[in-house]
Amino acid sequence: MDKQIDLSELLQRDSPPEGFILRHRFAFLIVGTLVISLILVIVAMVIYNVSGAAQLDLSRPGYQSVSNQVERGVDVGDFSASGQMTAETIEEFIELYDTEAKKATAVDAFNGDPLNPEVLEFTEVAQ
Amino acid sequence: MKLLTRSLVVLALSVVLLGVASLPAMAQSTLSEQQRQLIRANCLTIKNSLNQLKATDALLRVNRGQVYEAMSGRLMDRFNSRLNSNRLDAQGLTAITQSYDTRLNTFRRDYEDYARQLDAAIRIDCESDPDAFHFAIDNARTKRQQLHEDVKMLHAHIADYRAGVIDFQTNFERVAGEE
Repeated sequence: MDKQIDLSELLQRDSPPEGFILRHRFAFLIVGTLVISLILVIVAMVIYNVSGAAQLDLSRPGYQSVSNQVERGVDVGDFSASGQMTAETIEEFIELYDTEAKKATAVDAFNGDPLNPEVLEFTEVAQ
Repeated sequence: MKLLTRSLVVLALSVVLLGVASLPAMAQSTLSEQQRQLIRANCLTIKNSLNQLKATDALLRVNRGQVYEAMSGRLMDRFNSRLNSNRLDAQGLTAITQSYDTRLNTFRRDYEDYARQLDAAIRIDCESDPDAFHFAIDNARTKRQQLHEDVKMLHAHIADYRAGVIDFQTNFERVAGEE
């Protein structure tokens, strides 16, 4: 009943795996990990640029001069979305709204014409 | 056969019309040799100005964006929710809030377009290709003007919402007085 094991079979079992990939599987593991990481980084960078986050990221080089001027946490008074509606509540809301509306409309953002060729000295200088 | 002839005529007319429509734009983008020389001579100064503008506009976008988002998310939406929870008519105010949110999204998108265009202009070598540089800046200028229009519309919606709340207040007090 004993199964006889052939010596050549034993040697074949202990011998390194055949095939290029199996023989260099550790190197392939490292390279594969690096390739996957690179792909994920590229995907992340594409999302960062496409989503518009890049345009709002003031920590990028070139924005250091303004990054400390970001208004951190807009302080808007608290108005609850629940509760009874009374004349006082409406009055309270209008007061709060006026304060915030004043802040929002105080700056006429992106006005002016700094890209005008005249401003950028594109046009011919008057002789 | 007649249909084919008509289609060809319509196609030919469209091509001619498109060509005529693009003429002013082409003429506008044409620079004189003196202007090209000026751009080449002032290339560095112009690029510095553009980089400064890029930074200040990004700051403006971040700061204004926060204020505009707070107006909608922390005031308008909450007031509308409160009206709804009290089973009061909030349709008018909700409609204004939706218009405001739509315009806020347009503002965000237009800013992205503008910032990308400004970046593209900055990347162009103005010494070797002043025409392309000028054309890119002209495009950025148009996009910035659109951004200003968005801001004006947002301010108008803010005023509209206030007027809507005042109308609501008047009705509310009238109904409360009758009861």
